[in-house]
Amino acid sequence: MSTPGHLGEVMALDRLVHEPARLLILAVLAGAKEVEFGFLESMSGLSKGNLSSHMSKLEAAGLIAVKKSFRGKRPLTELAITPAGRRALAAYRQQLAAVMQELPDPAATPKRR
Amino acid sequence: MSADVQTRLEELEALTRRYARYSRSAGGLSSVLGGVLCLIAYFGGQLLHGAAWAGPVLIAIPAVWLLAKGWMMHRYYQRLGHVEEQETPLDRRVHRFCVAVALLVALAITFGLGLVARPHPWSLPAGMFGYLALVWLMVLAAWRWLRSPLDFIVGVFLFCQAAMVSAGSYYPLIGTTHTDQALLMSLVALMFPLAALAMIASGIAEHRQFRALRLQLEQQRRAALGQP
Repeated sequence: MSTPGHLGEVMALDRLVHEPARLLILAVLAGAKEVEFGFLESMSGLSKGNLSSHMSKLEAAGLIAVKKSFRGKRPLTELAITPAGRRALAAYRQQLAAVMQELPDPAATPKRR
Repeated sequence: MSADVQTRLEELEALTRRYARYSRSAGGLSSVLGGVLCLIAYFGGQLLHGAAWAGPVLIAIPAVWLLAKGWMMHRYYQRLGHVEEQETPLDRRVHRFCVAVALLVALAITFGLGLVARPHPWSLPAGMFGYLALVWLMVLAAWRWLRSPLDFIVGVFLFCQAAMVSAGSYYPLIGTTHTDQALLMSLVALMFPLAALAMIASGIAEHRQFRALRLQLEQQRRAALGQP
């Protein structure tokens, strides 16, 4: 088994992007120019607090841009993926595909006697 | 697993992209309304000419359409939250071109009227000031709200017809004029009802697509919440 090769690929995965909630946020944002917080909330099923926490991490890494303003008296939060975020998502997809290609197929592994 | 994750990511992205279309390039029922109002403005200009109530109605049509368009977007098509569509470079170029055309037309009309009225600018009839105001509102509308080519064609016509009505005139229907200038104008104006019909057809198709999209969004929301 060529474990070191697989491990290398797995370790190379961007952990910031690999987390499911953050991956979902990036995938949703990749489909639009700007997304309102409410839409992301209903697509992700996450609580406001949880979503905000993931948003902060992605914003701190420069993968998304967050714009806060008011619509009338209601606070309005809009998010957009940055060019760095698009690159990170594309790189993650490639890495994930490479990892899965490298791993041996369990169905093809000969059984021990 | 990788294939599953890749597929889910692509699905989410595509779902968002389709929803985002209703912020800019897809109007759905507001396109149907725009097309119907365009037909009313086209035929009403001549057929209702002289009716006291027709003038204010035709002048109000562009504002009614733009308000209805915004209302439908926020209250119906993007109820889950506003998502702005990603513009392609081609979309951006087409939009800039359309705004530039509208601006050139407005400048030419203002300059022409200025030349005519140069000795006594305030001697122009009040309707001509309304005409000018509507022409400049058309430029603003083209820049701010008329983002797709069909929206632009129909919107520009609604503003032009409103401006003409404000000045006491209208675009003549084809076959009802005899002078060369009016015939040319009626031929050019013929593209507007055709664009209106195309807009109604595309609006109906977009609305059908939205109904399918709404089901998929609901499935996604339930899946995210872990509901069956």
